[in-house]
Amino acid sequence: MSSLPSDGSKPDATTMIEVVEVRKSFRSGDRMVEALRGVTCQIQRGRCAFVVGPSGSGKSTLLYLLGALDRPTEGAIHVDGRDLTTMSEPQANAYRKNDVGFIFQSFNLIANLTAVENVLVPFFPTGVTAEHRAQAVGLLEQVGLKHRLEHRPRQLSGGEQQRVAIARALVKEPKLLLADEPTGELDSRTGDEIYRILRRLQAQRQTTLVVVTHDRRFITANDQVLEIQDGQLLSDNQPQPDASLARSH
Amino acid sequence: MWRFAWRNLLTRPVRTLLALIGLSIPILGVIGLFSLSNGLRDLVGDTLSRIQGIIIVREGAFSPVFSDLKADLEDRIRAIPGVRLVTPELWKLAPSVEGRSPIGQVARTMAGGLLNKNKKDGGSQIQGLLDQPVIVGQDSTKRAGIKSEIFIKALLKGSEGGRYLNPGDIGERRIVISRKVAKDNPHADTGLPRKVGDSLDIGGKDFEIVGLYDTGSMFLDVVIIMDIHAARELLQVGEDTVSTFYVEGTDPSANDELTLAIERELPGMDARSPNEISSNFGTLMNQLDLFLLATVMLALIVGVVGIINTMLMSTTERFAEFGVLRTNGWSRRDVLTLVSAESAYLGFLAGLVGYLLALTFTLIANQFLTSTGLSLTITPENALRGLALSVAMGMLGGIYPAWKASRMVPMAAIRLGSH
Repeated sequence: MSSLPSDGSKPDATTMIEVVEVRKSFRSGDRMVEALRGVTCQIQRGRCAFVVGPSGSGKSTLLYLLGALDRPTEGAIHVDGRDLTTMSEPQANAYRKNDVGFIFQSFNLIANLTAVENVLVPFFPTGVTAEHRAQAVGLLEQVGLKHRLEHRPRQLSGGEQQRVAIARALVKEPKLLLADEPTGELDSRTGDEIYRILRRLQAQRQTTLVVVTHDRRFITANDQVLEIQDGQLLSDNQPQPDASLARSH
Repeated sequence: MWRFAWRNLLTRPVRTLLALIGLSIPILGVIGLFSLSNGLRDLVGDTLSRIQGIIIVREGAFSPVFSDLKADLEDRIRAIPGVRLVTPELWKLAPSVEGRSPIGQVARTMAGGLLNKNKKDGGSQIQGLLDQPVIVGQDSTKRAGIKSEIFIKALLKGSEGGRYLNPGDIGERRIVISRKVAKDNPHADTGLPRKVGDSLDIGGKDFEIVGLYDTGSMFLDVVIIMDIHAARELLQVGEDTVSTFYVEGTDPSANDELTLAIERELPGMDARSPNEISSNFGTLMNQLDLFLLATVMLALIVGVVGIINTMLMSTTERFAEFGVLRTNGWSRRDVLTLVSAESAYLGFLAGLVGYLLALTFTLIANQFLTSTGLSLTITPENALRGLALSVAMGMLGGIYPAWKASRMVPMAAIRLGSH
C-alpha cells in the first residue's frame, strides 16, 4: 500500500479496507458536486461497519467506490491489500465478481428470473454448474426461502426479496459485503429479521460488512460507526476490539 | 446466458411481436421474390429446353413479335456451313380474337382485377397481362424434317388434340391453338371451350381449329399457329417480309458456333441459340433480382429501425438491471453479448415467421398459377439465406442498443433504479 492513513496509524494484517483522502466530485447539470471531500478511514477484517449520515451526505458514494463501481477523483482505496484506484476494467470486473457482494435498498432482483436463478446471476456469463446451483439453494435455505426457490420476485414479499438479494450477494463467498440501505423499503419487523440474517451469515463467513444507513436502530456497541456529513467524515467510532472479535466468533 | 436472453424477449411479448412483424414482412418479401425469380427461371429454362434450333431476329428486337427481316435472306442462311434446315416464321400479336382487341383485353384485365370480387379469378387476372394471343405463321413445306417442333409434341392425345398443320393447309384459314386459348375464348352461347372442328374469329375472319395443344408454359400457350400465307393475308404483311428464321444445324451441340457464323455472315441480324437466350434471360433476371432486392432493402431498413427501437426501449427500461449485472461481475462484453443475443433471437424469429409466411404465400399463389406453368418454390438455400439475412438484420439493429447498455456506468444505473 502506498498511502498511509492521515492520522498516522499504520494499516496491519487485520485491515480490510483503507480509504485515504478520498475525494469524489461529479457533474450534476451545470454544476460540479463534491460528494466526498477528503475521507480517510479504516475498516477491520470481519467487522461490521455502519456508514451513517443524512441523505446526500456522500455515504452511498463511498460504498460504491468500495465496490469499484466508480473511481475516486482523488485519493486511494485499498481493499484486502489491492488498490481499487489503479485496477484495470477486467480486474474491477473480477473483483466485483469474486470478492464483493452488493445488497441494495430496492432489492434489484431481475423480474423474469426465479429466486434461485436470481442468486445464480453472477455465474450466468461463465455458465452455471450443479455445484453453483447447490450452493444457491443452500443459501436460500439458510435465509428461510426453502419453499420459495422457484418463485419470481413479484410473488415474493419485500422481506423475501431482500433475503434473495442477500443470498445473491453471498453466493460468490465474497470477502466484503456492501449494503446500501438494506432495510430502507421494509417495515421495522422485517428490517430486524434482515439484520439478524445478515449478521448471522456475516459472522459465520467472517465477511467484512459495510452498511450504509440513516437508521441507527440496528447499530450495536460492537459495530464501527462512520458518520459522514457534507462529504466529510465527522466521526469514526471504533468498537472495543475484544468485544467485536468475541461477537464475530 | 442465452436462456436468459430468450426469457428477456418473452417478458415483453407485445413489443417482441411488433418487432417481429416489422422484420418478418421484408423477409417474406425477400424469400417470396427469390421464389418468384426461381419459378420464372425454371419456367423459361423448361421452355428453352424444348427448343433445339436457332432463332434469327433483327438485331435489338426484344421478341420475334417486334422483328422484321427480308424474306430473301433465307437462301444466304441456308448456304452457311452447318445449317441443315431453315424455315421462315411470321410472328405478330393477334389483331383481335372473337372481337376482342389486344388493347381492350389489357384494359379488361386491369378493370377485372379492380372490380372482380371473386377471388378464384384473381390468378387469371394476374396472368391476363401476359395472355395476349400471338399469331405465328409457319411454312409447312419447309418445316418438313424439323426435329424440335414444340407444338407437335404438345398436341393433346387422341381425337381431342386433332392434328398439326401440314402442306394441305397452305393458304387455308386453319389454326392450331392451345387449350388455354380455347378456354379463354369459349362459345358465346354455351360457354364451353373451343374444340377441334370449331371456328375462331381472328381479325374478323373465321379460322377452323384443326388442332389443340398444351405445353404447360405461359410463354408458349398464347401462340395461335397458322399457315404463313394465311397469316400474311390476316396481318397484311407482304411476301418479302418475315419475322424470324428458325434454323437447325447439322450438329445441335455446335449451335453456339453456328450462331456466331450466322451473325458474321449476316450483319444486323441476331442469331439466338437456346443457350444464349437462357444466358440473356439469366442476366435479365439477375438485374431484376438486384432491383427487387434494392426495393426490399428499403423495407428491411424499416424492419431494422423497428429492432433498434424495440431494443433501445428494452435496454433503457432495464438500466438498473444492467447495473445489477455489472455489480455482480458482468463485464461490458457480457452485457453486450446479452443484448446482442436478444436481438439475434428477434432476427431469427422474424426470419422463421417470414419463411412460414412466404411458404403460405407460395402455396396459395401456386393454386392460381397452375395454368401458367409457373410454380413458386422456396429452395432450402433461399430459406436459409432469408433466415441468415434476418439474423444479420436483427443483430445489426441490436448493435447500438447493446453498445449503449454496455457503456452504462453501474453506479449511475443502480442509482437510477433506486429512485
